[in-house]
Amino acid sequence: MRKLLLITSIFLALFSCSKDELGPQCISCDENEVVTAINTDVLIINEGNFGSGSGSISLYKSLTKTVTNDVFNTKNGFPIGNVAQSAYQIDNKGYITINNSSKIEIIDINTFASIGTINGFNSPRYFLPINNSKAYVTDLYSNSIQIVNLSTNSISGSIAANGWTEELILHEDTVYVCDMTNDNLLIIDPVTNSLIDSVKIGESPNSLVVDQNNKIWIMCSGGFGSTSPQLIKFNPLTRSIESTFTFPNLSDSPGNLKINAAKNQLYFINQNIIKMSIDANALNSSPFITNNGNIFYGLDINPINEDIYISDAIDYNQNGAIFRYSSEGTLLDQFTAGVIPGHFLFVN
Amino acid sequence: MNLLKTHISSYFLLISFLLLTINSFSQKDTINIIPFKITEEKAPPPYKTTTFDSISKNNATNLAELLSDNSTLYIKTYGSGSLATISFRGTGASHTKVQWNGISLNSPMNGQIDFSLFPTFFFDDAEVHHGASGLIDGNGALGGSVIMSNTESYNKGKSASLNQSIGSFGTYTTAVKGSYGNKSWFLETKLYNNIIENNFDYINSSKKGNPKETQTNADLKQYGFQQAIYRKFKNSSLGTRLWYFNSDRNLPRTMQESNNNENQTDVSLRALIEWKGLAKNLQYRISSGLVKNELIYDNKLANIYSENNSYFIDNNINTKLYLNKNFTIINDLNVKSENAKADGYNETHSRTNSSWLFGINKTIKRLNIDLFNRLIIVDKEVQPIAPTIGLKYQLFKKELLSVKANYGINYNYPTFNDLFWNPGGNRNLVTEKAEMLEFGLSTVKKIKKSILKAEITSFYSEVDDWIIWQLTEKGYWSPSNLKKVENKGIEGAFSLSTSISKFRINGRLNYAYTETTNKKSKNNADNSHNKQLIYVPFHKLNYGLNIHYKTISINYNYNYTGQRFTTSDNNWYLPANFISNTSIAKHFKLSPKTSIITSFKVNNIFNQAYQPIAWRAIPGRNYLLSLKLNLN
Repeated sequence: MRKLLLITSIFLALFSCSKDELGPQCISCDENEVVTAINTDVLIINEGNFGSGSGSISLYKSLTKTVTNDVFNTKNGFPIGNVAQSAYQIDNKGYITINNSSKIEIIDINTFASIGTINGFNSPRYFLPINNSKAYVTDLYSNSIQIVNLSTNSISGSIAANGWTEELILHEDTVYVCDMTNDNLLIIDPVTNSLIDSVKIGESPNSLVVDQNNKIWIMCSGGFGSTSPQLIKFNPLTRSIESTFTFPNLSDSPGNLKINAAKNQLYFINQNIIKMSIDANALNSSPFITNNGNIFYGLDINPINEDIYISDAIDYNQNGAIFRYSSEGTLLDQFTAGVIPGHFLFVN
Repeated sequence: MNLLKTHISSYFLLISFLLLTINSFSQKDTINIIPFKITEEKAPPPYKTTTFDSISKNNATNLAELLSDNSTLYIKTYGSGSLATISFRGTGASHTKVQWNGISLNSPMNGQIDFSLFPTFFFDDAEVHHGASGLIDGNGALGGSVIMSNTESYNKGKSASLNQSIGSFGTYTTAVKGSYGNKSWFLETKLYNNIIENNFDYINSSKKGNPKETQTNADLKQYGFQQAIYRKFKNSSLGTRLWYFNSDRNLPRTMQESNNNENQTDVSLRALIEWKGLAKNLQYRISSGLVKNELIYDNKLANIYSENNSYFIDNNINTKLYLNKNFTIINDLNVKSENAKADGYNETHSRTNSSWLFGINKTIKRLNIDLFNRLIIVDKEVQPIAPTIGLKYQLFKKELLSVKANYGINYNYPTFNDLFWNPGGNRNLVTEKAEMLEFGLSTVKKIKKSILKAEITSFYSEVDDWIIWQLTEKGYWSPSNLKKVENKGIEGAFSLSTSISKFRINGRLNYAYTETTNKKSKNNADNSHNKQLIYVPFHKLNYGLNIHYKTISINYNYNYTGQRFTTSDNNWYLPANFISNTSIAKHFKLSPKTSIITSFKVNNIFNQAYQPIAWRAIPGRNYLLSLKLNLN
């Protein structure tokens, strides 16, 4: 009997919880608080696994080539939410859209302290400041673009849309929105918050930029392989398509259209990183940066020095890899961020 | 000297007990059997199996709970009443095959089983076949198989029972059973209704200050019935069983979501007709089963309404030819026609999945040899060799200590979703393959009024071409034969039953150590190589203690699930949890034919907060009061 008691107590000791831990715990997350330096530091927005994982923010210091992961959780003691989609900076505030948590988390861009939450979204995707008091937010499911009052941090209204709206830009007092569901470019007057026009473009427009000639470039992924993807050059003055560059294969899946600071070189992911002049007459198929077996997921260009940041989400369930290249295409650094790194914010 | 004497006498007792048990066990499989009590599900002696006693079965509400509390199998549950999938020896959810009275139940659409949808009320016995022995039940069991079965009781006359339970969080369960058995007929009807509101409080660790919140949108309604009609002839019996089950549940949000509106309805109809018996030294069973599943997923927020229908017909001819007392030849023929139509497919898909199992079971003195091969034909693809060999050797003539070893190969075919789901379905997938090896020691000892059983098993397996769904550059998910996984570990099982004066005591303990490592990396940046797969705990332990005194029975159950990783680079983990449940039951005899059993159960006594899956909530301490009326 004594032996039995001994064995039982050993078992109890072995299988007892030592700490009062609840929920997912990190093994190698940095526990030191860090502070952002402007013009050199980069925030990496990690989506986190849909449903089961948490989004997170990593801080990369490009001067010292050091990365600190999970900075929001470290500072605030709770995760930012599920599927951190994108981030924007207004002065010293960062606005992070949290897709599956249906919110926008407002952070102090320097300390990562949570300073506010905008609730009431359905599935927010991208955020665009219109002026000091107003921003637009696109949404996956709500059939509308939400209007956010930046003074009260609340939704003040909406502009009807039909389905999934994705990336959006403000150009010469007009807002241009990618309408994924209807393959349209929506044109909105931000003064009246009304839809002026919608122009049919290629299938599944996902990203757009403005070049130095005031032309809008729109990347259309072609959907789930149903049509050939297209890169479209759009004239906002005439509201018409100026050129269409059609990708040769149905299996092409271009996305993440970006432009350099001078606004004359386009960058996008189509398996590899493709660089293309805005004056090109045809699609450039030769890679600027080859993937070497990586699956490129996120891309952005630092507007200050034109460094190229690329992410690989690997298996979408582990800390992803970030590759930093110079504008000439030389690998400057490689490091690990959080789970599914998808978006970069160059702090200024 | 006295001690030695008691030892010797206890040995004699032990041996006589062993002989008795051997006889009673072997009676199931030899020509000495009572022809109408054929137990098909028993795996051969060289393989590790887990069986469940009636105490364990009565204490579990569904198959998920039964396995989780009383075996080494890891049940990954999304919460109370929610989806519960399995990981058996580190394998995936579609790698454990589940059968009910010889018909396989795994969905042809995703190959999986939701173990929360099988109330224990609907089956009489359950058994788990570990590792390579799953091959004897069918192809695809890369981890093992779980068998549910019902028995027919002739000559028992009329009997009825009514069980009503009321529990925390709006739990109301009603189970009614009526049966009749004379010397040639057996009829049984079971009716079941279960409602759970599931509005429990939990700690939301994803929010600032870890506030207490109340679970919403987690209610469920389940109902079902089962009917058995059997006719006994001289040396055979013919019978049919029908089982209908309907589950309608709302799917609760994760702690990180603020709104969701998801609902899932599962409707299953299972029909079985079987003819079984004994012709001279040939034991046979001819059966045909029909399983029809409907799954409706409704997500109002995302505007998704998805209807998925599948049905399959599973025909079996199973024979055992007893050449003599020590030599049996097994021939099982299985022809299965699988069909599915889903909103995710462009058309209805069908395939024929057939196989022929040939095996021999031979006993040479203290050595038992089992050799099986399954020839598999799926559509036009022929896989002639899927073998398993098992050996069991009793080390000493007078002591029931045996060594066991077995080896086997099994194949799991891609599911319809893997092949045809639009978008993503991949028709170029190859079959998943597992090679399994097992080595173990088992013993049974009887000392005076005590019986001690102990078994320790080590296993090793390699699963190759493991199918994994991953996000593509196109933005949708698609499966490919991505992974190679190595599983190794140890399983221990101990049970003790004894009597101390008027107390009858039963104790059991199961422990498993499972190391399951990814052996393939995607690229240089991949940090999942040689890491433990997500949601496979290294340690799992449970033990139960039951004390019976006169008409009172007290039960205690402890279930430990060790730390498990939530990311493939093993950087994030969920902490270990240990849940204790206890119950007390009292039996009142009202008349010779009427009795009442009242029981009171406390689940999660220590009110432990934990997350079975990241950001999924479970209830704290909760209560269940049951009243069961038996009429004979």
